[in-house]
Amino acid sequence: MSATEPTFEEAQRELEQIVERLERGEAGLDEAITLWERGEELYELCVGRLDAAQGKIEELARRAEQTRL
Amino acid sequence: MSKVEAIQYGDRKVYAVAAFNRGVAEWLQRLPTVWVEGEVTELRRNARWQSVFFTLKDPADGACLGVTIARNRFDALRLDLADGERVHVFGRPELFEARGDFRMRALSIERFGLGDHLAALERLKKKLAAEGVFERKRPLPFLPRRIGLVTGNDAAAKQDVLATITSRFPAARIVVAETLVQGPLAANAMIEALRELAAAPEVDVVVLSRGGGSFEDLLAFSDERLVRAVAACPVPVVSAVGHEQDNPLCDLAADARASTPTAAARLVVPDASEVLGRLERTRAGLARGARRVVERRRERVVQAHDRLRRAPALAVERKRARLEHAAGRLRALSPRATLERGYAIVRTHDEIVRAASAVTSGDEVEVEVADGRFGARVE
Repeated sequence: MSATEPTFEEAQRELEQIVERLERGEAGLDEAITLWERGEELYELCVGRLDAAQGKIEELARRAEQTRL
Repeated sequence: MSKVEAIQYGDRKVYAVAAFNRGVAEWLQRLPTVWVEGEVTELRRNARWQSVFFTLKDPADGACLGVTIARNRFDALRLDLADGERVHVFGRPELFEARGDFRMRALSIERFGLGDHLAALERLKKKLAAEGVFERKRPLPFLPRRIGLVTGNDAAAKQDVLATITSRFPAARIVVAETLVQGPLAANAMIEALRELAAAPEVDVVVLSRGGGSFEDLLAFSDERLVRAVAACPVPVVSAVGHEQDNPLCDLAADARASTPTAAARLVVPDASEVLGRLERTRAGLARGARRVVERRRERVVQAHDRLRRAPALAVERKRARLEHAAGRLRALSPRATLERGYAIVRTHDEIVRAASAVTSGDEVEVEVADGRFGARVE
């Protein structure tokens, strides 16, 4: 967990690591809950980034459509 | 022949200027008559003069030779010579004594004939090829910022090139240099035009164009100076001279050759509609590609999330299963399981009976089996 906002790739990697750790059943019960919460947080962050990217793409595509030569 | 006499100053022999000139002039007269080839420049003919004067210039390096010819002899030749024309002059060297000027006294002049031109062209071609003048072939720009066009002032020929370029690429910017494209002065004029266009801002390619014409009409395009200028031009040159069968030397020196104005246009500008079409397709691909990237990432994140959702329950289930397992083993180890298999625990006064000697006949004992207890007496 870095102090600054992680990049999409960093967040995605951390999320996947958490899932793998949970699936292997290595974590203690309390830790599992903490990991789960962190995982949900990372998921929200990733989805937010993707939504923003998609919005931008659609916006550009629309603008491109309007300036078609 | 007068004798050239020196004045004696002691040991030193000194000649008067006139005597010296006369001496040299006489010596020169002993030289044979020869043919000399060159270009006519600075032709001066005056009806009141006895002689016609011109300078014969070497087109390769500009070396000059003054020539005089008797006016009546010149007129009789009916050559109608113009500056820049190539000729063979038959004559002998002489010194104009009054001025000490060296020159050639011409007896006859012949205009360079077709055969001479062909032979000279072939020689020049070999010489330039050996020097590597025809070797440089630079790629033409895909889309030049500006196009330089060297063309004659013949409206039809010029329009032909302009129209084909702009119909292919309407936004093309063309800088036109109108110049002489035939005759003895054309080569120099075209060199100048070429130099100006190549130096003009944003000109990325120059087209040297001329419509069809006779062999003589196209001679200027094989002029050594022009051919060298084309090869040395700082921007790529497209030679669009004459028709398919014409092979002026500038074609060889140019970076590309076009046999028609349409071919020249195809070389210097891309087809606008084709470029736009490609651009549109690329742009569409750009949006598709960007969407695909986001979709892939989203699928991966959603997949991870699904697994995350299931993971805590799974972890609890695992822990529960492990607990059950432990409980099972725990139970297996307790005496209850042994009792269920049909064993019994016998106690007397709350002490477990471990040996037959611990009880005697008539003792009261308590027997524990799997589902309860009952009393018994030892016999």
